[in-house]
Amino acid sequence: MDTRAAPEAPCLVACPVHTDTRLMVERVLEGRYEEALDLLLEANPFTSVCGRICHHPCEESCRRSKVDAPLGLRQLKRFIVEATHEYRVRRRGPVRRTRKERIAIVGAGPAGLTAAQDLARAGFGVTVFESATEPGGMLGTTIPRYRLPYDVLREDIDDITALGIELRTQCAVGTDIALAELQREFRATLLATGLSESRALGVPGIDSHGVLLALPVLRAVSVGERPPLGQRVVVVGGGNVAIDVARCARRLGATEVTMACLEAREEMPAWEWEVEEALEEGVKLATSWGPRAVLSDDGRVTGLELRRCVSVFDDDGNFSPSFDEDETSGLAADTVVLAIGQAADLTCLKGSSVKTATAGRLEYDPETMTTSERGVFACGEVSTGPGAAVEAVADGHRAARAMHHFLDTGELLKQAPREELPTIGDLPEETIERIKQRARVEVGRSPGEERVRDFSEIERAFTEGEARAEARRCLACTTGAFVDEDRCAGCLTCVRICPFEVATVTKTASMPEEKCQACGLCAAVCPAAAVALKRFGAERIQEDLSRLLSERPKASPSAFIVSYCCLFETTSRKFLEENPEDVQRTGVARVLVPCVGRLSVPDMLLPFEQGADGVSIIACADGECLYPTAEERLGARVEEAKRILEEIGLSGERIELWRTRESAEVSWTSFWEISRRKLAGIGAEEQGEET
Amino acid sequence: MIVAERKPLGEIIGFIEDFRKVLVIGCGGCATVCLAGGETETKIVGSALRIAARKAGRQQQILEDCVTRQCEPEFVEPVPGRLGDENIDAVLSLACGVGVNLLAERLGDVPVFPGLNTKFLGATAEPGVWVEMCAGCGNCVLHLTGGICPVARCSKSILNGPCGGSSDGKCEISPDVDCGWELIIRRMERLGTLDRLVEIAEPRDWSSSPHGGPRRVVREDLRQLAAEAEEEKATTA
Repeated sequence: MDTRAAPEAPCLVACPVHTDTRLMVERVLEGRYEEALDLLLEANPFTSVCGRICHHPCEESCRRSKVDAPLGLRQLKRFIVEATHEYRVRRRGPVRRTRKERIAIVGAGPAGLTAAQDLARAGFGVTVFESATEPGGMLGTTIPRYRLPYDVLREDIDDITALGIELRTQCAVGTDIALAELQREFRATLLATGLSESRALGVPGIDSHGVLLALPVLRAVSVGERPPLGQRVVVVGGGNVAIDVARCARRLGATEVTMACLEAREEMPAWEWEVEEALEEGVKLATSWGPRAVLSDDGRVTGLELRRCVSVFDDDGNFSPSFDEDETSGLAADTVVLAIGQAADLTCLKGSSVKTATAGRLEYDPETMTTSERGVFACGEVSTGPGAAVEAVADGHRAARAMHHFLDTGELLKQAPREELPTIGDLPEETIERIKQRARVEVGRSPGEERVRDFSEIERAFTEGEARAEARRCLACTTGAFVDEDRCAGCLTCVRICPFEVATVTKTASMPEEKCQACGLCAAVCPAAAVALKRFGAERIQEDLSRLLSERPKASPSAFIVSYCCLFETTSRKFLEENPEDVQRTGVARVLVPCVGRLSVPDMLLPFEQGADGVSIIACADGECLYPTAEERLGARVEEAKRILEEIGLSGERIELWRTRESAEVSWTSFWEISRRKLAGIGAEEQGEET
Repeated sequence: MIVAERKPLGEIIGFIEDFRKVLVIGCGGCATVCLAGGETETKIVGSALRIAARKAGRQQQILEDCVTRQCEPEFVEPVPGRLGDENIDAVLSLACGVGVNLLAERLGDVPVFPGLNTKFLGATAEPGVWVEMCAGCGNCVLHLTGGICPVARCSKSILNGPCGGSSDGKCEISPDVDCGWELIIRRMERLGTLDRLVEIAEPRDWSSSPHGGPRRVVREDLRQLAAEAEEEKATTA
């Protein structure tokens, strides 16, 4: 027996919390935004946050990248969140406490709050201790508002606190309450304190007035303060925090902002898009330079002396910079901000017996997530080191599982730091060539010089139309065709019809999942009905039909039409929401299909069996179909269905094939109106022939 | 494969319109491969018959099934039981004539009607086009004619061709029909065996063809074994 897990879409596998982004996109396409939100929140309570600032490994792994550009999954996530505000508030609410055990969580950042959510949902009593005035951790205090407005973060946090978690802000463990006390009061404790301290640098002049640390600067900015940085700012560091500081400095009025980093441009640890955005905002880069000394005049910073960094890492990939002391340079500066890394603030351990390993690090077992003390766990950056928000969320989930297991059994649970899942693999070259290119929907950003005027958000969300257009680009990985070998006659029809040359037959047919584009053309014509689709197959069409036709107008004033419509051409939910009253009133029952090219002749005849007077098939607009040959193939099948009707004495004109004009909303209603009038005439004619 | 083609629906309706409950049975063998009577065609025919019944106001039930191959007793064995259980009073077979015959032998007093016209033994020439390549005459001469059959592919089935009706590679019966003998000659030219055609083929014995009456093939060895196994089963029982 094959016990391997089924291969998943690469976007799901790449996501640290394995968000089913592929399914998310499908739900967007089907207009099921609320269900999309459910799916997102199930995987990631920080969905709003990730819709703004996630480093989107899902997009990095998207197989569409090889065709043109990856799907805008992060923006789609943001769209879902913004389209479902009211629903989200409604779904929020307390969970029932079913366990007597109480759990303490230290730190209300993404890791701690994710664990809090999971443990509260599991029925435990959860108290979260946070030293700051507001929850959110680094997300709330250091990520600049132009990337992440606080109310966006708050939306995620409100979901979690609504579960019935006790949140004690301005309560610093180690200062206001001892960790030992938590250990006594609570059955288990989780340390999720993050990396809240900036590392300093040991070079001459570092104590000069005007040398600042990155995180305090960002914290001040996050509460609306405007620290006086002067006109010329040098930021030391090449990571994301350094970028944030540099971009904030521009917004605070500094005219000359330079990032000096050890790394070469292509080695910079910051996300590439962030570097690009910083450059657009006028930030300058001084790459492959390391600080040698802070220059000062009368104790006040005047600049930074630099030495050439010739390599950052040693042969084993460890951080070990080497310098050419003969090549030097200098940058004039009113302020120098150090953004060279973060460290943990382990004040919370004060007076406790929880051990530290090397300086500033917890003694920690990455598999069991435990510290040296039984019942004290740790997660997030304090134990894993620096990472992205979604990685902290993933670690929070893991910690919750570990603690739940511990409280159930008294045993420690071993978990791999990261769950590896199989993917369907890369798109083969020959398949890439056959996939139609379709430009990624970009929302753009306001120009850099405008952005630096204030801290307002630099990126807008997708409109509904844009979100739907972008969702259409999804290659729908893992949802393609599969064969029932017992039925397959090996007739080669699928091989002959497949526009992507995916299908092969050796005894029976097979459609390798990594190649199949899920167009459904083979399933539509398989004479043995041996090919099915994992998503939206024939059975789904039949289910939709029987549901819709059970609502057939009792005394329809005019013709009753079943309309199979191309899902991809809808720019809103107008035609996606089933409305029985609408069917009664208009006499049109809609079945939306992701490409009507997958309709089989039986699909076209079925409505007539169930009493429909006509079938209107509405394909996408000219040239819009994602699948080569689908339009011609569909045309041939429509002709066949018409011939069948003619053979049994019905007019073939009862089936009509339309092409969308502009969009569904613009053109479909008029098609139905024309069909309705035409059908009235056809009905009269057929009656006449019979009498 | 055996190539067949669906009968016009009007003709089929004529067969079954007086029956209350009809089972349409497809075949998963040749009829599927030539796109005439597989699972999907069964659905189409079933659907069309239901629409027609609805239109005519007939109270008629049309059911569908598709068996692996209608030419095998084991595969059709469950059909009679189903007919009895569900009070089905007629069967429409979408197999080749073989399937219809086998069903007719096994369905007792329930009539079986052909939904297809069985055409010939042929191959796919291109998607959607099938051509006859074997006449099943029971005595292959393909070794003499470069692998191209004069019986099936010459309109007259002559063994010493071509005849005077061959022009520009086409048969006189239709410009769409290749002259079988032209194909044979071109093929043998290519093989360098054209000289073999100098020898005149003698009039052949056609008793192995349908003209000799219904044919059968018997593998005595297998038959013997099967009989023994049956016997053993009977004794142990």
